[in-house]
Amino acid sequence: MNYDCLIVGAGLSGLVCGIRCASEGLRTVIISGGMNALHFSSGSIDLMGYDPSGKVIQSPCRYLKQLEEKKPGHPYSKVGVKTVRESMEFFKKQCGLAGLDLHDNGEENHFHITGLGTMKPSYFSQKSVFNDRLKEAYERKDPIAVLNFDGFRDYFTALTLEQIRGLPLLRGVRITTGKITLPYYFRTERNLHEFRSIDLARVFDSEKYLPRIADEIKKAAGGARIVGLPAFIGIDNFGWIHRRLEDMTGLLIYEVPTLPPSILGMRIDRALKTRFADLGGELSAGDKVFGGEIIDGMLDHVHTENYGSTRHRSRFYVFSTGSFFSGGIRSEFNKIEEPILKLRMSGSQERSKWYSESFFDKKGHPFLSYGVDTGKTLNPYGADGKTVKNLFCVGSILAGYDPIREGSGGGVAISTGYYAAGKIISARKKADLA
Amino acid sequence: MRTIETDVIIIGGGATGAGTVRDLSLRGIRAVLVEKDDIAFGTTGRNHGLLHSGARYAVNDLESARECISENRILKKIAAHCIEDTGGLFVTLPEDERTYHDRLLEGCRQAGIKAEEISAREAFSIEPNLNRSIIRAIKVPDGTIDPFRLAASNVLDAVEHGALILTHTRVTGVIVEGTRVAGITCEKDPGELINIRGRLVINAAGVWGQHICSLAGIELTMYPSKGSMVIIDYRINGVVVNRCRKPSDGDIIVPGDTVSLIGTTSKKIDYDKIEYLNVDDDEIEVLLRDGEKLIPNLSRTRVLRAYCGVRPLVDTPGKQAGGRSISRGIVLIDHEERDGLEGLLTIAGGKLMTYRLMAEMASDMTCLKLGIKAECSTHKQPLPGSETKISPKKHIRAFTGIPESVVGSTLYRHGQRVRNILKKDKKNYRIICECEMVTEGEVEYALKNLNVKDIVDLRRRTRIGMGPCQGELCAYRAAGLFKELGPGNQSVKSSQLLRDFLEERWKGIKPVLWGDSLREAEFTYWIYQGLFGLGDIDFTKRHGPDEGGDR
Repeated sequence: MNYDCLIVGAGLSGLVCGIRCASEGLRTVIISGGMNALHFSSGSIDLMGYDPSGKVIQSPCRYLKQLEEKKPGHPYSKVGVKTVRESMEFFKKQCGLAGLDLHDNGEENHFHITGLGTMKPSYFSQKSVFNDRLKEAYERKDPIAVLNFDGFRDYFTALTLEQIRGLPLLRGVRITTGKITLPYYFRTERNLHEFRSIDLARVFDSEKYLPRIADEIKKAAGGARIVGLPAFIGIDNFGWIHRRLEDMTGLLIYEVPTLPPSILGMRIDRALKTRFADLGGELSAGDKVFGGEIIDGMLDHVHTENYGSTRHRSRFYVFSTGSFFSGGIRSEFNKIEEPILKLRMSGSQERSKWYSESFFDKKGHPFLSYGVDTGKTLNPYGADGKTVKNLFCVGSILAGYDPIREGSGGGVAISTGYYAAGKIISARKKADLA
Repeated sequence: MRTIETDVIIIGGGATGAGTVRDLSLRGIRAVLVEKDDIAFGTTGRNHGLLHSGARYAVNDLESARECISENRILKKIAAHCIEDTGGLFVTLPEDERTYHDRLLEGCRQAGIKAEEISAREAFSIEPNLNRSIIRAIKVPDGTIDPFRLAASNVLDAVEHGALILTHTRVTGVIVEGTRVAGITCEKDPGELINIRGRLVINAAGVWGQHICSLAGIELTMYPSKGSMVIIDYRINGVVVNRCRKPSDGDIIVPGDTVSLIGTTSKKIDYDKIEYLNVDDDEIEVLLRDGEKLIPNLSRTRVLRAYCGVRPLVDTPGKQAGGRSISRGIVLIDHEERDGLEGLLTIAGGKLMTYRLMAEMASDMTCLKLGIKAECSTHKQPLPGSETKISPKKHIRAFTGIPESVVGSTLYRHGQRVRNILKKDKKNYRIICECEMVTEGEVEYALKNLNVKDIVDLRRRTRIGMGPCQGELCAYRAAGLFKELGPGNQSVKSSQLLRDFLEERWKGIKPVLWGDSLREAEFTYWIYQGLFGLGDIDFTKRHGPDEGGDR
């Protein structure tokens, strides 16, 4: 097996990288160990949400320009604002081609409402979460009904209501809550009250119950014009179902991300995997890369658990293996490391320095910005300290940024994945010419 | 200011205070218990939950050993649903002093503890995970006891017999009139002042008893000693495993519910530090290193939390002239006799095992002081939940259709009260905390009957958020249910209770933040900060009452 590009990890950054490589005709494979972090995400894409003091950023691209000077080690500064912009457009286009329409607010952030009723700045949201019609309705101060399925335990309207009333955007808006019942027409042996978002999304996907659900939504909405529902309006057919429900009810319906599994995140995952496959990319799922060999500053081959000593070879490699949670980096009693090649890390080895005293400290936690150290072109350094020229690290394995406190996880994944693909494509073209 | 009149005021909602308020209530004496935080918040909830057979004291402290075995037998009868009669082992490793084994056997014989020497092979069949290099083993009637459940059951029984329990209520002063104590003043969260007048005040505040005495203008010196423990994220042993050597750090592993605990360290600390305790890195290292010697596969098991408590050792005037001694045993002080101050008793020292005996002693003296003739019945009267022994199987038949694991867990935690908790309504038995199988019915029962004021209290009553995920998903659900079912007219936002709960979990996670614990913490942070933005909410602004609400 000889590839142009072998990507380890099928999360947001790996998929974006794979799609761009495959779209240029490169022979691309992604080796994936399991579910990616999109399944636990909000399903909105953030680019840069907060400055270091915690203040919300209105215009992320303008902010990134300042960041280039202030923090040259930040992944955004390494890839450059121009590439960041390009990559976001590329991502939006690819999602659209797979039937997932994203809302943007020009180059400004917009806000989506969370399951706790707080507002989170985002760069892209799915059209069922936020769109221009909703924006206008909020501005008109149209009444809102926050609804839930009776007994769904991963979303509580009471918690949303408690918080939402204090939001400046919704001052003076009449907000009510209500419940929709499912049990009497949806027959199952299972305990309906233990349904997760994905079980309910399947009920929507079947379309059979839509008229009944629409009736109940209308009833529960009272006089409201806008209806908030936990995000489970389908996984496959969501665009059509959302439009149907709005037509049937005559209401504006928006989705709220709930506790995992995240239906909104799964839609992105599916859209990207569909694009990758359509472009001829190869996905090797259920396997795990555990080692490899670097020879003269080049990664020669990698090994996977399923194939043991078989050497997987490629001209270029990309590690998009994620942070601690996904296993891209690992911690022990008093040690942090990159498990596959023991690449050079940035971060303290002293455990007491890894965390902040309080969980919700305004500064976040140091461990969240630990990761693999790379040069300007995202090439990491081997255990001997030398650059590995044909290997790129992308996404949350990278050091130098805090995806949560900054609200930058999505943007960094997309832009670094896109950037590495660009490097690989141009190197490949050069080689072809030679 | 609200004024409450009663007969006896008990300060401290640990096992001793909870036991005392129950004892007095069963004797028909009016009593009010005041606790600054929650039931079992202090030392009671911060030990390893060992139901001592007494064998651990058999070599050095025969008196304690005798107290332990006698209470062990009583508790197995009256608190069956708080106890697991696991049995225990004492094992000798090649590096340990050989004679200790024989001295332990002899001590147990003298104290009346049934200790039996068994072969190493037999020990492995009882506990397959044991270190294979042990050379001798003794079987003892150790067990495990859940201190939260024990204290809560005592309180529940007291309430059902007319007692008043004020949690989250801090004592601000002791009312002294002439040479007698006439009551206390206290402050209930947030900012409500209460006067409680009674004929007698019992100081059962444990290590905090020094402060209570100082409020009454008298001196009582405590010698706090910190003990740290580590929780392992699986139940790696079925029975209690003790190291057969002079008691020291890391010599016991106690199973409990779904986890195992390694105990304990011992460090002297200054009294002014008791509110600000942390588990130190060297303590974790020693606990893991020595724990691994008893059960080797511990080194491959995830560490879940580390926590510590303060042992309340009391300074009592010694028998020898001018001498002072620090007692590990039970100390009952009549301040009339000691300081010339009437109407105040202090019950201190002792251990969780002897809480009932301490309560009996304090209550006996109370009766004597108040001139009331009433006998103690706590050694015979079972706690709520343990009234009659019912086999789990029979219960499961009564709850046909509800998953066995749900019935089993609820029965395990609440004993007979399972009947007040589980209903055949499917919403009632949906799982809120998957790690510990806590249902909505159990949450509702706790919110309505067990004096729950916040989600941290709810955890102590139900084990919500105590399993491997440490509240990752159930914390949000619990906050939602709190809003729907909890005490109405909340002045505190549910989202703030949620944040406080996660901060409390973080305290125990921080010291063991590596490996899977770090991964789990990162995930929890994603959800509550990344997905929900919980840390961005400004709780300093007061919020108005909710209008509207569910239709």
